[in-house]
Amino acid sequence: MRDAARLLPLLAVMCAALAGCATPPPASDPAALAAFKQTNDPLEPSNRVVYKVNNAVDTAVLKPVAQGYVAVVPHVVRHHIGNVLDNLNEPVVLANDMMQGKPRRAGDSLMRLLINSTAGVGGIFDVARRLGYPNHDTDFGITLALWGVHSGPYLYLPVLGPSGPRDLVGFGADIALDPFTWVGQGAAVADLGYARYGVSAVNTRAQLLKPIDQIKRTALDPYATFRSLYRQHRRAEVKATRADNRATVPDWFPQPKTPQPKTQ
Amino acid sequence: MLTRRRLAVLTGCAVAAAGLPVAARAAVPGAAAFIKQAGDRFLAVINAPGTMRGKQQQLRQIVEQDVDVTGVGRFVLGRFWRVATPAEQQQYMAVFRQILVYNVTTRIGDYKGATFTIGRTTARAEGTVVDTTINAPNNPPTQVQWVVQDVGGQPKIVDVIAEGTSMRLTQRSDYASVIVQNGGKVAALIAAMQHQLAGLQAQPG
Repeated sequence: MRDAARLLPLLAVMCAALAGCATPPPASDPAALAAFKQTNDPLEPSNRVVYKVNNAVDTAVLKPVAQGYVAVVPHVVRHHIGNVLDNLNEPVVLANDMMQGKPRRAGDSLMRLLINSTAGVGGIFDVARRLGYPNHDTDFGITLALWGVHSGPYLYLPVLGPSGPRDLVGFGADIALDPFTWVGQGAAVADLGYARYGVSAVNTRAQLLKPIDQIKRTALDPYATFRSLYRQHRRAEVKATRADNRATVPDWFPQPKTPQPKTQ
Repeated sequence: MLTRRRLAVLTGCAVAAAGLPVAARAAVPGAAAFIKQAGDRFLAVINAPGTMRGKQQQLRQIVEQDVDVTGVGRFVLGRFWRVATPAEQQQYMAVFRQILVYNVTTRIGDYKGATFTIGRTTARAEGTVVDTTINAPNNPPTQVQWVVQDVGGQPKIVDVIAEGTSMRLTQRSDYASVIVQNGGKVAALIAAMQHQLAGLQAQPG
């Protein structure tokens, strides 16, 4: 709540600039006012405009590219491209696991990074999963959530889509945490970086082709549906991360007398 | 400061939002077995030979039998149930029922040849949650949770949770947004739902 209060002056400036602030319902309607506060989307008119623009660009550009990607590239190859992209992201996941204070998760990420980069030939084959180190994804937004930062008002951003102040800061921090941001210089390295982000965007969009189509077909208000789905999903991710307290005592070591809290 | 009036308002909002009496929910015994039976019935109809029309009819019956359609409909309308006139409530429930059935029956193709396994059962505030893993062909295994409540002595499904997102919560946000965007009129929501239903009915198959 403190963070929300600190954001108010910034929001006021943005509202004045964009004239896109939602008007809260009058205090005479307490149920509506409570619902408005719970939705926590004070910039809804501006968000809806950005959603419309984003949707148009997605329909015109990103979706056809993703569909072409699915049509041209066989499923197996796409799966392995996904593995390579996951492996490139593994250092960021490792750093976030450590900052979240989740030793088993950090161990999984570290082993995945080492095993898949070597035995998995640069991340192409997910050898680590078969050895008992399952895949998980995390980001600095979840780290901030575990540190107690409120998610803040809903923001629909151009390109990035559903987000909020906390997750936006998380996105920026992840770019800073990524070693590939800092390694090397020159035109070739820059091109590789763009290629990686480009392929990652297309790959993600290709995986989401069916779900997003279904949401747009069945939702009466896609903007509100995406907002609800995003928020629920983030909350579930944070909750699952918080609940992951697997023991760090190895199986072959004498187990402590008091049972450690295990993951659900 | 939490004054008595504010507390009363908050409680009222919570009750209105839930549309349900504020009470602890007892665990449903045999919820996992119920989900297994419901799932087997559903897949049996999908995988059996027969016309699409016949399958849709049978699935309609299964949905009515295994899902608490009235309860879900009231939950999804949320705080606007009390604002709606009795006529609007009836109209809404009729359209909601049909849309729910359509959303299930149009996914027949997705679930042909699918199997599922039952996982853990947990008792939570919203009901008994049964974890399942659905293996549909050409899809990675998906974790889906089914929330089961005791409705009139029978276990019934009241919610589906996929990847942490609850279907009825999402739909409630959706419908509430439509109503608010249209000046708080429930009739606008019913019109939008009827328009969507007409589109679904116009589709072949």
